Amino acid sequence: MTEAPSERTRVHRHPERGDHDPATIHAVLDEALLCTVSWVDEDGAPRALPTIQARIGDTLYLHGSRGARAWKAAAVGTEVCVVATVVDELVLARTSPAHSMNYRSVVLFGRGREVTDHEELSEAAKAITRHVLPGRELDAAEPDDGDWRQTLILALAIDEASAKVRTGPPKDDDEDLALDVWAGTLPLRTVVGPPSSSPDLRASIALPTYIPASGEELPRP
Amino acid sequence: MSRQAPTPRTRVRRLPELGVYERERVNEIVDEAIYCHLSWVGDDGEPRVIPTIHTRLDDELYVHGSAASSTLRAIRTGLPVAIAITLVDGIRFARSMFEHSMNYRTVVVYGTAEEVTDRDELVRVFDAITDHVAPGRSADARPPTDAELKQTTFVKIALDECSAKVSQGFPEEPDEDLALDVWAGILPLRTVAGEPIPDPLLAERTSVPGYVSDYRRPGA
Repeated sequence: MTEAPSERTRVHRHPERGDHDPATIHAVLDEALLCTVSWVDEDGAPRALPTIQARIGDTLYLHGSRGARAWKAAAVGTEVCVVATVVDELVLARTSPAHSMNYRSVVLFGRGREVTDHEELSEAAKAITRHVLPGRELDAAEPDDGDWRQTLILALAIDEASAKVRTGPPKDDDEDLALDVWAGTLPLRTVVGPPSSSPDLRASIALPTYIPASGEELPRP
Repeated sequence: MSRQAPTPRTRVRRLPELGVYERERVNEIVDEAIYCHLSWVGDDGEPRVIPTIHTRLDDELYVHGSAASSTLRAIRTGLPVAIAITLVDGIRFARSMFEHSMNYRTVVVYGTAEEVTDRDELVRVFDAITDHVAPGRSADARPPTDAELKQTTFVKIALDECSAKVSQGFPEEPDEDLALDVWAGILPLRTVAGEPIPDPLLAERTSVPGYVSDYRRPGA
């Protein structure tokens, strides 16, 4: 565990779960399919919006409609706080207060920079597509100028971030171990179902090989 | 179905046809999602957001944590909060990157947190949050003692100002993209449970309960 980059990223409760290692932070940002972006609106009230993220190196990219409130605020440099969560296992203890989850989460603070450089826009679009399903970025058509007039890409430096990680079995108190209740963990994972082609898809187009078979885990970047 | 009039911040403005204000449909999403993302404004005026497990009893959303938690100490005094709950049902692959999307169901709740102090309500909500994680579990797990009740803070947020956004279906693409030589369609996603892993300290004779071996989320 490395030092927290700031007071607000220090993990106060269960400091043993805190992790500031960039490798841990990057893995959570890559593995979580989506994140929630929060910001403070003009009335001083908190706002929260789920969205898809993608990471390239030490930069997190978010995208949104230019017509949406969140992105208008973010594009002018409003401070945002982003959280991404991966639930690995349910932790079923013998007592209800000791129930928990094995999870990995990242909280990231920063002010966004609107991406305007064409090359960076293109890389970010590919990264977001790849984040959803690796391989797809080589197949789908890239955005054109008309698309970029509607969509905004925000870059956030991953420099004020922390991860919180819980692993392992339940932690019941010694006097509860004799209780006649099953205890342990239950792993959860996201799997894909059978794909459905669009009704207007030309019959000559085959299912791409990067689409996993039904029942397989969703591949992550 | 009871329908809730949207407020300026819960009215779905982007793609308004996706807005859902019926309480029963909001409840289904809240109940199916294991955790939520809870945000509030820190002392410094800047946003904070954390993941936390929630549960619902009637028209109230509950979240909990240690009585010593800085989050709960901050919000239990009645600070405004915003809560985002998201379920992803599938990936929508369009021929162009720009038209890619998700089939999703999200709920955003705005409100203020009120600390739960009534003992009976605390006991009920403890059962509810245990059953929210694993339906049926509260009948097996030992309930909290008085000391444990004191160590845990629950707050509730009324589901008064909330809305859902639901997007389902095939990608919608402009006609000029239909000729592209790229597969388009939907890949459904779901959360499934693997094999239960017994606590190493568990007595061998303890069998795995059915709600663990046949685990599924409500509605899933």
